[in-house]
Amino acid sequence: MVAHRRRNWKQAISRFLLLDLLKGMIVTFKWQAPSKCYTVQYPKVRPRIGERFRGAPRLNRDPETGESLCIACNLCAVACPENLITVTEEVREYLDEASGKVKKKRFLADYLYDTSRCMFCGYCQDVCPTYAIELTQEFELAIYRRRAFAWTWEMLENGIDQPVYTR
Amino acid sequence: MEFVERIISNPVMMEYVWKPLVVILILLFIVLTLVAYLVYAERKVSAFIQARLGPMRVGPYGLLQPLADLIKLILKEDIIPAQGDRGIFKFAPILSVVCALVVLAVIPFGWGVATITDINIGLLFILSVSSVGILGIILGGWASNSKYPLLGALRSSAQMVSYEVAMALALVGPLMFAKSLSMTAIVEAQRTDHIWYLLYQPVAFLVFLVAGVAETNRTPFDLPEAEAELVAGFHTEYSGFRWSLYFLAEYTNMLISSAIAVTVFLGGWSFPFLDRLRPEHPGLFTLLSIFVFAVKVFVLIYMFMWFRWTFPRYRYDQLMDLGWKWMIPAALANILITGAIIMIGQETLGLTKVVGGEYGERLVVPGLAGKAYFIGMAWLVLVPMTWFILAMINRRSYDFNLRAQRQIRLPERPATEDVFGKV
Amino acid sequence: MYQRDLGATEKGSPGIREMVLNMGPQHPATHGVLRIILKLDGETVVDLDCDIGYLHRGVEKICENRPYTHIEPYFDRLDYVAGVSNNLVYIEAVEKLAGIEVPPRAQYIRVILTELQRIASHLLWLGTHAMDIGAVTIFLYAFREREEVLNIFENYFGARLTTNALRIGGLFYDTYPGFEEQVREFCRIFPERLNEYETILNENRIWLGRTVGVGVLTAEEAKELSVTGPVLRGSGVKWDIRKAFPYEVYDELDWEVPVGENGDTYDRYLVRMEEMRQSRHIILQALDRLPQGPILGKVPKMIRPPVGEVYHSIESPKGELGVYLVSNGTSFPERLRIRPPSQINLQALRKMAIGHMVADVIALIGSIDIVLGEVDR
Repeated sequence: MVAHRRRNWKQAISRFLLLDLLKGMIVTFKWQAPSKCYTVQYPKVRPRIGERFRGAPRLNRDPETGESLCIACNLCAVACPENLITVTEEVREYLDEASGKVKKKRFLADYLYDTSRCMFCGYCQDVCPTYAIELTQEFELAIYRRRAFAWTWEMLENGIDQPVYTR
Repeated sequence: MEFVERIISNPVMMEYVWKPLVVILILLFIVLTLVAYLVYAERKVSAFIQARLGPMRVGPYGLLQPLADLIKLILKEDIIPAQGDRGIFKFAPILSVVCALVVLAVIPFGWGVATITDINIGLLFILSVSSVGILGIILGGWASNSKYPLLGALRSSAQMVSYEVAMALALVGPLMFAKSLSMTAIVEAQRTDHIWYLLYQPVAFLVFLVAGVAETNRTPFDLPEAEAELVAGFHTEYSGFRWSLYFLAEYTNMLISSAIAVTVFLGGWSFPFLDRLRPEHPGLFTLLSIFVFAVKVFVLIYMFMWFRWTFPRYRYDQLMDLGWKWMIPAALANILITGAIIMIGQETLGLTKVVGGEYGERLVVPGLAGKAYFIGMAWLVLVPMTWFILAMINRRSYDFNLRAQRQIRLPERPATEDVFGKV
Repeated sequence: MYQRDLGATEKGSPGIREMVLNMGPQHPATHGVLRIILKLDGETVVDLDCDIGYLHRGVEKICENRPYTHIEPYFDRLDYVAGVSNNLVYIEAVEKLAGIEVPPRAQYIRVILTELQRIASHLLWLGTHAMDIGAVTIFLYAFREREEVLNIFENYFGARLTTNALRIGGLFYDTYPGFEEQVREFCRIFPERLNEYETILNENRIWLGRTVGVGVLTAEEAKELSVTGPVLRGSGVKWDIRKAFPYEVYDELDWEVPVGENGDTYDRYLVRMEEMRQSRHIILQALDRLPQGPILGKVPKMIRPPVGEVYHSIESPKGELGVYLVSNGTSFPERLRIRPPSQINLQALRKMAIGHMVADVIALIGSIDIVLGEVDR
């Protein structure tokens, strides 16, 4: 490393002329140009979020039929380190259109996702076989009531109401 | 009724009460608005330096931010520490702010009406009144009955007392040329002599600038309110409007420091070639003189802000070192050498003459040769000689920043003893 | 009025000249919830004690109750400004215990990410350290560059701080399109910015006055206190886990260990600045050699390491970050112990600070570079 204790005449002169201070001042002066501003005016301008961002959870629906993609396999609940996902299943009879027979199948009855304990590790979306549970790019999760941190099935599908900034 | 009318319309009352009252109100209004916008400017300048935008949300470009801040500060809860000294706690910020505002009376903001009062001890008045302002800080720190404010107050008293000396001594140099303590006379001397005393007195200007930054508690000398060390220093326990009074005092002091620097070293409201306007358009000239003064003051204030957002902070002992071993000797050496330069110029070379005038006698350097002599002597002799003297004085502690700092041996502490058990 | 404060204890240890000052846990410069009890004579520190534990969450105990695959996110929360390094030490410990091979591409990417994380962590250190000493602007400059690193992380893992980046046996994700360009762009602008910080600070007389000779820790003392990382290297001991016990592909890359001379705050500052340059150098080399191939090795579905124990340590930005892992053959660890560099480095504070002033204590806390999430665990 550099030996900084020894001082030569060059340093002495630079100290006499206050050059060490002036150099720093020039750097700070240079950055004042408005073109070098880094601020993003957040509520007005939305930041670009990475594609893989792990934000608010969402339970996806089949875009064609509008039914939930979740098959109530409970893998996400098992994969969650914090055990915050509660999947309730029910076995229902349904008419299989291909064969015309009445069959039994597991359906999703309720899905509870406690965002107050979530660490957004992404293990649930990693294990999901049908890409039903997904962590989206939505990052505004502040809520006024503590109870509302537990996201119900409906909230997971539709998202929560976010304040809209007009100005 | 008649009595009241007589009092109101009494010419003496008119002259000495009503007119000054109107002037004071106008001045206070302008200055307080200005100070509010200084805070805004500070935030904007710091933001630009840091590649940010600063306040942008209230009004266009955040221009109404000071107003929003003011409303917030007034509405905030006023907390007084339970163990504190209530009376002093309430009184201290008022003392600080009053001392800061009183000084405004003698500053010549411009020509004509903009020179509000002119007392012949102007500079002395400013120095003495602004020293009383320190008392507000000390009392505030003491009355809080809290450790951080106490430390902050002690630091600030030591700092301000020592830099006050350097500040006052630095002003002696220019006074030798102006031969008057009246602020107006100092401006007049520079204007009629077509010179700024910065050129004659670079060392004094530098010392004054440093002392001015130190007096207003700004980085690199913001030890009394060092955020990182003392949380907020003397005003840690203050909130709401009382806190804003301290803030007001600080920014007013900054304004005053720059105003004194401008008046004494940068020619006040005068500007080359502007005088031709005076006989024909006195109104325009007044406005222009105020404008010139404001521009000069804001350049200096910008420098203050620039310093603040560039430099780290001195440590307490280094601050004292700088004050007592560099600034005060520099100011004293400046007085000595300037005296010698003036004497040689006056007695031996006969370059100067003393003229009387509206504001008493002053030193005038009529010829170009004389000006060249004084400027040359100032930059080529005064500066190196002062530096040499300082280097001689500090040759033991010349590396005051770099010298090995003292190391105290660790007290041997038995593993079982709990030193802080009682805390 | 101040009788209580002047500490008239029966033992008579704090005399009437001395004042006891609580610094923290709510204090702007203690980098979190650290409480330092200072005994002051005027402004000179006579003695000090650190009170830690305000952020204790029992991470080690939590980890004992989680399967191996679930533990990683908790490691993000230790040193929350250097998430990837924390992930790495745990993942590597498990891999070492279970004997899992990691494909070379994953190893190279891990090196790139941890070095980026080192830069980010050091930038945060630089910003806060400079701000403690009073240079506020450096703080925002440093954060601006850190933002670039965090943007890379956000694009890569989907999180900025608590990255949860790695996976036992490799990586979660392969690189995203444009990853290499983004990293190279960062490496291109970074040296200029670093030079700018050094222009402002390196020769500044105030900065020198505040750092040179402050908190001198000799090499012997540093070894005795078992400090690691830049604090140790600032004292002149050439010790870096990346060189001493190379992990991943550090032995294939060419770089140097910066070492200080005097063991003061200024040398620690210089060491960290140089480390950032070296990290950039490592990143560029790793990018050049980045092989193609899989990013995940052969990993059993349930990770049940054989009965045994392992200690694995890496060079985190703060120092030697170690994990001691005991397996009992199930999918839950029997015991997991973390060796936090910040906590052990913090023990040096008393030795460094006594005899200096209050302001120096602040500078020293910054210079040790602690993160309370790691100190308290």
